[in-house]
Amino acid sequence: MRIIGDLGPYCLTSEGLREGPCAREVEEHRDLGYGSFNFLYGPSAGGLLESVGFEIATYGESIERIGHVPYKGRQIKITQLPVEEALIRVERINGAFAASHSISFLQAVEKAFEAEVPYEVTVSRMAQLELERIRNNLFVIQRVLESASFLVPSYLLLQQVEEVNRTIARSCGHRYFFGANYPGRVECEHEVPSLKIGDVEKILENRIFIDRLQGNGVIKEDNSIGPAARASGFRYDARLDSDLFVYRDFDLKVPTQDHGDAFSRILVRLEEIKESLRILQELRVKPHTFPMRVRDGEGIGRVESPSGDLAYLVRIRNGRIERAFLLAPSSVNMRLFLRSMPGNIFTDFPFNWESFGIWISELEVDLK
Amino acid sequence: MNWFLKGIRMGVRTEKDYHHETKWPSRLKRAQEGEVKCPTDAIGEEWRPERCIFCRACEPLFSPTGETLTPKVERSDRTFRRSFYLYPLDAGSCGACNLELRLISSPQYDMTRFGIFFTNTPKHADALVIMGNLGKRMEEVIRRAYDVMPSPKLVILLGTCAISGGVTGIPPDIRGDVIIPGCPPTPASILDALIRAKGGEIP
Repeated sequence: MRIIGDLGPYCLTSEGLREGPCAREVEEHRDLGYGSFNFLYGPSAGGLLESVGFEIATYGESIERIGHVPYKGRQIKITQLPVEEALIRVERINGAFAASHSISFLQAVEKAFEAEVPYEVTVSRMAQLELERIRNNLFVIQRVLESASFLVPSYLLLQQVEEVNRTIARSCGHRYFFGANYPGRVECEHEVPSLKIGDVEKILENRIFIDRLQGNGVIKEDNSIGPAARASGFRYDARLDSDLFVYRDFDLKVPTQDHGDAFSRILVRLEEIKESLRILQELRVKPHTFPMRVRDGEGIGRVESPSGDLAYLVRIRNGRIERAFLLAPSSVNMRLFLRSMPGNIFTDFPFNWESFGIWISELEVDLK
Repeated sequence: MNWFLKGIRMGVRTEKDYHHETKWPSRLKRAQEGEVKCPTDAIGEEWRPERCIFCRACEPLFSPTGETLTPKVERSDRTFRRSFYLYPLDAGSCGACNLELRLISSPQYDMTRFGIFFTNTPKHADALVIMGNLGKRMEEVIRRAYDVMPSPKLVILLGTCAISGGVTGIPPDIRGDVIIPGCPPTPASILDALIRAKGGEIP
């Protein structure tokens, strides 16, 4: 059994829910003493894609302690709404992971309704998740390259991100999967992006680039998720233990690395792009509808988002959402990032930060 | 081979006409008569793109044309015609606007050929690009960024959340000189708006 993360008042594990929050090591807050000082990085700074603050304690060069300071927190109300209206809001929790959010949310709803999901719908959802993974992993690598001022490969990666976005638009009508999934319906057609992965691989042969990443932000914890877990040798992946998908039919390979540093996380992401492309080529996708009978109930949906396990717990009464909880992968990854940062120096920060693929939008959302 | 030479050998990837068909978001047209239940009141007597989140709830009464949405440019300034520096500010977005804005620098669009650049500080910015709903502690951040910008300056509201709030919150309390509808706006739509804001003409 592996611990995934807090889902509302529960702890989500690979075997289901446990009462109470997940057990964690208590963080030690030692006094730094003479010569140390605190400063705030953010909330709005050029190196950050989203608004977020970090309170950093230092003696001058190395980061001794770091904490997250929320700024852009949003309250999104989905309770008391019918499923379709709640779904419009769920898609907009994190645009970059909109397929992961909407599919996980719909899986929870379908469990609550005790609905049978047809194979065609499952396959279409897998295709969306793999497209989203490819785009996100390319973007994470691009952000790391941009941090290193490697501008030619950085723009090459942006070109490929745009190519994936256009593929998603051709497949599902919208570049971020908004409106692609409904209760009882999926809208996407079969499309595979034409990417030059060889070019991306060559970037990782550059010694100067590798030196910025190796040994940076080492974290090896068994209660981690996604690429961060796989980069430190843990073969954790919701696609392996979820019965809501059919990845086993496609002989899914889950790449792992051993060092648990930013470089390992990038290598894992690169291998995942290739594996996702392979799976995508084997899937056959077309629009599909299926009947769903509305009833009262509660269910959990869980998918492997590009940054790890993403889950919803949804309870429905009289066709409306009575309560809903979200486990955002960025909340687990933020904890891992903050634990991996002390001991590194300031110039390590952007490389380590980007390697986790954290989205503040889903981390600071308050789902009402 | 070094990356500089590799870049040259790749040839030109930039598109002369960067507009291409995207269904959602694009300009909507009424296809059938009937009453629409729009979650953002974007459909009244006429369709208001600045309120629309393109959620497809109005289908099939309304259908997408695939045409790039037209931004509203209430004020442009030819001072910026050669160089136009943008400071992006995420007030509380879902992240999609941030990504689309970033993609105008991809080789397909290449914003630099139009003299458009990003800057890392509002002190060097000609325009403040605001994305998303108003986040919990962002009001002060927006005000301070705007105050330190040198004049002349423009405010660009990017995406429905920043313009009218959409379905996830309220918009920041600031008047936009340029309004770019979409959820999120496409890179083509963003580039059109920026070119017009700096007093240029869309290719």
